[in-house]
Amino acid sequence: MSNDIAFLAEYADGQPSRGALELAAGAAALAKASGGAAVALAYGSGAKAGAPQLGAAGATRAVVLGDGEAPAITFAAAAAAAVKDFEPLVVLAPAAPNGRDLAAALVGLLDVPAFGPVRSVTVEGGKLRSEQATLQGTVITVSEPTDDAPQPAVVLVLANTFTPLEGGGGTAEVSDAPPADAGAFGMARTVESHPAEAAVANLEEASVIVAGGRGVGSEEGFGPLHELADALGGAVGASRAAADAGWVPYQLQIGQTGKIVKPALYMGIGISGAIQHRVGMQTAEHVVAINKDPDAPIGEFADLFVVGDLFAIVPKLTEEIKRRKGT
Amino acid sequence: MKIVVTVKQVPATTAEKRYTSDLRLDRASAESIINPLDEYAIEQALRLQESGAVETVAYLSMGPESAAEALRRALAMGGDEAYLVTDDALAGADEWATARVLAAALDKLAPDVALMGMASDDARGSLVPGAVAAIRGLPLLSYGSELTLADGTARIRRLTAAGFDIVEAPLPVVASVTDQVGEPRYASLKGIMAAKRKPLETWSLADVGVDGAALHGAALTRVVEARPPEAKPPTERIENVGPDEAATKIADWLAARKLI
Ligand SMILES: Cc1cc2nc3c(=O)[nH]c(=O)nc-3n(C[C@H](O)[C@H](O)[C@H](O)COP(=O)(O)OP(=O)(O)OC[C@H]3O[C@@H](n4cnc5c(N)ncnc54)[C@H](O)[C@@H]3O)c2cc1C
Ligand SMILES: Nc1ncnc2c1ncn2[C@@H]1O[C@H](COP(=O)(O)O)[C@@H](O)[C@H]1O
Repeated sequence: MSNDIAFLAEYADGQPSRGALELAAGAAALAKASGGAAVALAYGSGAKAGAPQLGAAGATRAVVLGDGEAPAITFAAAAAAAVKDFEPLVVLAPAAPNGRDLAAALVGLLDVPAFGPVRSVTVEGGKLRSEQATLQGTVITVSEPTDDAPQPAVVLVLANTFTPLEGGGGTAEVSDAPPADAGAFGMARTVESHPAEAAVANLEEASVIVAGGRGVGSEEGFGPLHELADALGGAVGASRAAADAGWVPYQLQIGQTGKIVKPALYMGIGISGAIQHRVGMQTAEHVVAINKDPDAPIGEFADLFVVGDLFAIVPKLTEEIKRRKGT
Repeated sequence: MKIVVTVKQVPATTAEKRYTSDLRLDRASAESIINPLDEYAIEQALRLQESGAVETVAYLSMGPESAAEALRRALAMGGDEAYLVTDDALAGADEWATARVLAAALDKLAPDVALMGMASDDARGSLVPGAVAAIRGLPLLSYGSELTLADGTARIRRLTAAGFDIVEAPLPVVASVTDQVGEPRYASLKGIMAAKRKPLETWSLADVGVDGAALHGAALTRVVEARPPEAKPPTERIENVGPDEAATKIADWLAARKLI
């Protein structure tokens, strides 16, 4: 058993995901507290060539689970073999579909405990403590492994929980995962890939999100929201109602079954604030809502609630922001 | 072809939730429903049955005896039979223990597809499907916005960063689906009557061949503290003003917080 802190690092097209860089910073901080090393479990296309650079992001070592494009779950057996090999104290996984799949596979393959998605995680005296919002954010719970729980603790981490390190130097020492039969997980194959026609923003990376809902009314209705988002240097998001209507792609949906976001500023425009939407944005630092219904539920938890017609207010607001920015 | 849909009973989404003195969710205090995301899995299974791709749709739940209600409600939507694993040794089960028990029950039922919701409302770990697949040594097809079955393979449509993929694996598989599969049907009066006569079997841990002692008290995790979230500062309101004034006030508010 070691005091190392491992983290999943996914690569696509030769680049580490934003989540990998955030978790590298988180693992480095936890490793300081545990007295171990921050170790990347790198996989995906470009992982092998890119892994040394994870040193700059905070990793001391990187274990390559496999390179190439394949469903993330196909790397599960390699992840389990690597974890068995150096027995870290904790494995951090992004609380997004691929990260959750691999985390789940580790829980089932190794019979280890799982935590999260956490809002904070610490290691004290060799013991993990994780803090999470449960039951639609109505309760904050603090959990730890039971005394007889085997190592590691697998911890799901939401986007924007840790901030990537900047300007770090250093190279991670790279090794390959011990050979492992990919087993049944290796039988999942991507047989078709349909990229979107237009670029789709990654909401988890946006520090400002202008989200539109059913009140926006149509695809064209989202035009002014895009302009406002541009003026603020942010991205457009949506409620499920707006995504279901086909006004924006599903990748922009925020909420229980969409993205869980944590921007500095979230603006909910023509969104009522249903609980399933709220769980996806309630940890935003600042919440502004524009709604014509003075009793909309979003008015109960927004920091600033503006009662009025979005079609009248949004273009004026964009103008005003541009004027103040001098653009 | 047989699908077993796993169905969890959870406190109603809007219900007040409380923790018991030993920091477990007080499941007796709240109105209970089928985990809303499991209804989409049920809908997907019933559509496959209606299309003729599947003969039998069964439901499986692990929970207190009262979880039989959730299974009856599932049977009222459609499907053929249901199984409930209930045992005093399972109180406070975490996702690992849940996966162990469901995996054992699924081994016994041996479906072509074990179909799950993408997450449970009260835990939201989305870990049970992957952990069950790992324990049973089966492929995982997760987060499908559609599931299709043909020629001994299962296929899902799955969102990617910008588009979608089609991912497939040979049967048998463990799969999970999202709320994009289509709105779940309501139970009809006829369905509710019919559900009363459909078989619902109750199993103990021993019935599914799990040794309670090997379950570490049904959890590898424990809650050591439960508290309400920090109170938010009160909402500021801008109302009864024209759009120009509203825009200026919003901009002032943003500027005061260095957001512009
Ligand atoms: C299992 C499950 C999962 C779900 N997951 C999600 C999820 O991930 N994300 C999500 O968002 N939802 C999710 N939902 C759906 C959720 O319950 C709500 O139905 C949805 O969020 C409503 O979207 P909305 O706020 O855009 O629409 P509505 O609730 O219809 O609200 C529209 C709002 O626009 C306002 N409005 C209308 N016109 C104007 C105008 N001219 N100016 C200003 N305001 C105006 C109205 O007053 C109203 O408040 C889920 C539901 C279920 C059952
Ligand atoms: N106690 C349970 N009984 C039956 N199914 C369950 C149970 N817990 C979880 N599941 C299934 O696993 C899915 C994912 O749950 P979770 O991993 O808890 O988010 C749910 O949508 C259910 O289909």
